Amino acid sequence: MSSKSVGDTVEKFKSISPAEFFYRNKEIAGFSNPARALYQSVRELLENALDATDAHGILPDIEITITRDKSKSFVYRITVKDNGIGIPPHYVPDAFGRVLFSSKYVLRQTRGMFGLGAKMVVLYGQMTVGEPVEIITSPIGSRRVYAFKIMIDIKENKPIVLYKASWPKNSDWHGTIVRVAIEGDWGRARQRVIEYVRRTAIVTPYANIVMLTPDNEVYVYRRVTESLPPPPRETKPHPHGIDLEMLKMLIKSSDAKTLEEFLIKEFQGVGKVTAERFMRQYGFDPNRDPRTFTQEELEKLAKALKEYSEFRAPRADHLSPIGAELIKLGLQAILKPEFVEAVTRKPVVYEGHALIVEVGLAYGGAIPPSDHPILLRYANKIPLLYDEKSDVSWKVVAENIDWSYYGIQFPAPLAILVHVCGTKIPYKGVGKESIADVPVIESEIENGLRQVARALKAYLAKKRREEELQRKAITLIKYIPEVARSLAVFTRASEPKISPEELEKKLFELVKRRLPEFPTNIKDVKDVVLSIE
Amino acid sequence: MFPGERVPISSLSSSIDVKARREAMEKLRQKFLELLKKVLNGEEPKMIIPKRTLSNTIYDKERKLLLLGSETFERNFLDMREARKFMQTVLMASIIYEALVNNEYPTIRDLYYRGKHTIRYRDHRGRVEEENTWDEQRESDAVLRDIEVYVGLLREDMLILSKEKGKVVGDMRIRSGDDVIDLSKMGHGAYAIEPTPDLIEFIDVNAEFVLVVEKDAVFQQLHRAGFWKKYKAILVTSAGQPDRATRRFVRRLNEELGLPVYILTDADPYGWYIYSVFKIGSITLSYESERLATPKAKFLGVSMTDIFGDPETGKKPYLTEAERKNFIIKAKKTDIKRAQELMNYEWFKTPKWMKEIDLFLKKQSKLEIEALTGKGLRFLMDTYLPTKIETQDFID
Repeated sequence: MSSKSVGDTVEKFKSISPAEFFYRNKEIAGFSNPARALYQSVRELLENALDATDAHGILPDIEITITRDKSKSFVYRITVKDNGIGIPPHYVPDAFGRVLFSSKYVLRQTRGMFGLGAKMVVLYGQMTVGEPVEIITSPIGSRRVYAFKIMIDIKENKPIVLYKASWPKNSDWHGTIVRVAIEGDWGRARQRVIEYVRRTAIVTPYANIVMLTPDNEVYVYRRVTESLPPPPRETKPHPHGIDLEMLKMLIKSSDAKTLEEFLIKEFQGVGKVTAERFMRQYGFDPNRDPRTFTQEELEKLAKALKEYSEFRAPRADHLSPIGAELIKLGLQAILKPEFVEAVTRKPVVYEGHALIVEVGLAYGGAIPPSDHPILLRYANKIPLLYDEKSDVSWKVVAENIDWSYYGIQFPAPLAILVHVCGTKIPYKGVGKESIADVPVIESEIENGLRQVARALKAYLAKKRREEELQRKAITLIKYIPEVARSLAVFTRASEPKISPEELEKKLFELVKRRLPEFPTNIKDVKDVVLSIE
Repeated sequence: MFPGERVPISSLSSSIDVKARREAMEKLRQKFLELLKKVLNGEEPKMIIPKRTLSNTIYDKERKLLLLGSETFERNFLDMREARKFMQTVLMASIIYEALVNNEYPTIRDLYYRGKHTIRYRDHRGRVEEENTWDEQRESDAVLRDIEVYVGLLREDMLILSKEKGKVVGDMRIRSGDDVIDLSKMGHGAYAIEPTPDLIEFIDVNAEFVLVVEKDAVFQQLHRAGFWKKYKAILVTSAGQPDRATRRFVRRLNEELGLPVYILTDADPYGWYIYSVFKIGSITLSYESERLATPKAKFLGVSMTDIFGDPETGKKPYLTEAERKNFIIKAKKTDIKRAQELMNYEWFKTPKWMKEIDLFLKKQSKLEIEALTGKGLRFLMDTYLPTKIETQDFID
């Protein structure tokens, strides 16, 4: 079933049934109206492009082009080009033309869940405009470029390849270009799309992202660092994170012949000793073939896996936090603040899944002052734009934290970034646009926020001290020219004449001597007092 | 000299002016060169200035004067709170000095405008800010007073002019500048007391006493009726609160010519305070009392006992019951408050003043001098004033 032979950089592909698809993805929405559909399409294609690059150690170069159809209103063409690993040509039809064919059905933190996104875009485009999706791809290491035009046979759930071609490659490009035509509403989607790309750029400072809009505006986010977050590693599910349906799928896809073998092979944190103790405690026969379990037995097994407390804690190495350094770089590059701080918290466990919270803070500079902190929310590196007020981050930022304690009086130029990454994130509602206030997540966000806010407080205190020093120095220095000129008047009639300039220097030295910590940026009276034009 | 030819101002100035100017220049220069030397030697530039506050205003009972106490304060350029004032003080001093050098006679308004300009600077947040050397004349006036006490020169000594307010007539001749002026030949007008009364020279005088009248209108009436001729008086008016020049002039009449000084004001707390300013000095200008106050000045009236009589001494009132009814004005709340304040001043704590103020508070009535002319100018001139002086019915 797997395709290891293609190489390490190639994703694993496997089919899952439509029933499973709907089970997994009943909450997927996002194409409810033309504006939302346009936003959602850009999102899905951009996320795929990023997954094809940074998750594989490639510095992303991504171009997004959105054009308005010249004759048909509300028809837009979206083209996204990446420099990712590319798609092996024989997988292309299924990857874009068979719903529920996915490279992502393994436990690892990626942006899109199960890779449904692109297919939803294709399907939506086919239903509203009726043009095939165009794909040009060249897998990494391949000497050829492949082109496809594909539609989906909805009834049969299989791809229809309308066009297929390939030619030798005369450059070293690899990656994928996808172009779809959809019905959209740029006028109403514009702000969200632009904000979405901007927020994506904040957490991918290692990417070049260029977007051309239907208004012929170009948004360019340049790479500011060459360092990538470490790619997430695949991991097996943890027993605590399992439910009945997942258990059934695991049994179906596993080649284990006995329960003992199944437990050791398919779960993380389960060795021979642990497996035996577990089976003894719940009275399971180690030699039973799990495929022979009845529904009742499966239910009992799922329940037992969830409650047994002797499994090792879930590992977090399959998670891909952005990292404090990259968050700081991203906030710095896009928001241009005067102060920035970020923290990556230690992994915690939520319902058997590891979860990491990251918090970033940017203050001052080009950030416009507002009555609340500007909140930038992310889940698995995906910006969350909707339903801000119902998100747990909002609760922490707006209710739990007393900002005055950290020296902030609103309106203030303050932006807070919260990134929650994990293989299971408790979204609120079907839109997956806000995270529920689960105590463990809430306290992680709060602790992270307090950590970065403390750094801000220290920074502000230092800044205030420096400002106070400067203020003191300036209080005296601003009068020096006037005093020097006035005193010099009295020497006009007598010898020796003293020039105002000489007196200015002497007075400046006196002030410098008077203030033990003299601000280093004031070297001369002229640095403070400006001439009157 | 041809019309239109430019003439140096100095050659047109009186010799007295030139001398005063030279003296003031020298004193001012000495004092501020000291400060400049400190700067050159790397010492803290500071001035020790007598405090001009109510707490440092002392009533000298012996000499009956309001005097500046011995408290001083330090105005150091390196002191955050004093830096601006320091700048203003040396700025003001330099303007006065330049005016002296250039043979000018600035008014305090001129000084305000000459020194007022904008300092542009970058503040601690990098913003460009603008600050004026001073914004209101109140500020420049305050540093001028500081300079007067710091240097020991009054503004008149530094040839700073103020508006002429006081007037005088009488059988007397003076020299003002290079001219001789006969104060008995002023027609219906009067001699306006110049802002530098110390530069006036008394030539000769034929008078028995000085009468200072608060109200300009009453002064004019008495002048036209020939009061000063008939009673051998020097007649002065301050036209309200007396300015420095009028006070200095009256003081010189008393001190140098030995003429007794009588003061006639409205019968209310404001009139009383005008009298006390003439007699012992004012709180804001206490540093000048030694030169401006006339400790021997006497309050002639109008007193409360003139209106109501005094059963203790058997004094009869000058007004009849009916006249009182017509002329008396009901005291306002502010009058009452002011009277209570005066009761707390050391120099009003005498039996006669207490009787005055008590009577005022009891009757809650006041009276203007004009009420007496209402009874007839002749009554004021030929009955009230001579009787009061003859019977020594005044408050000392």
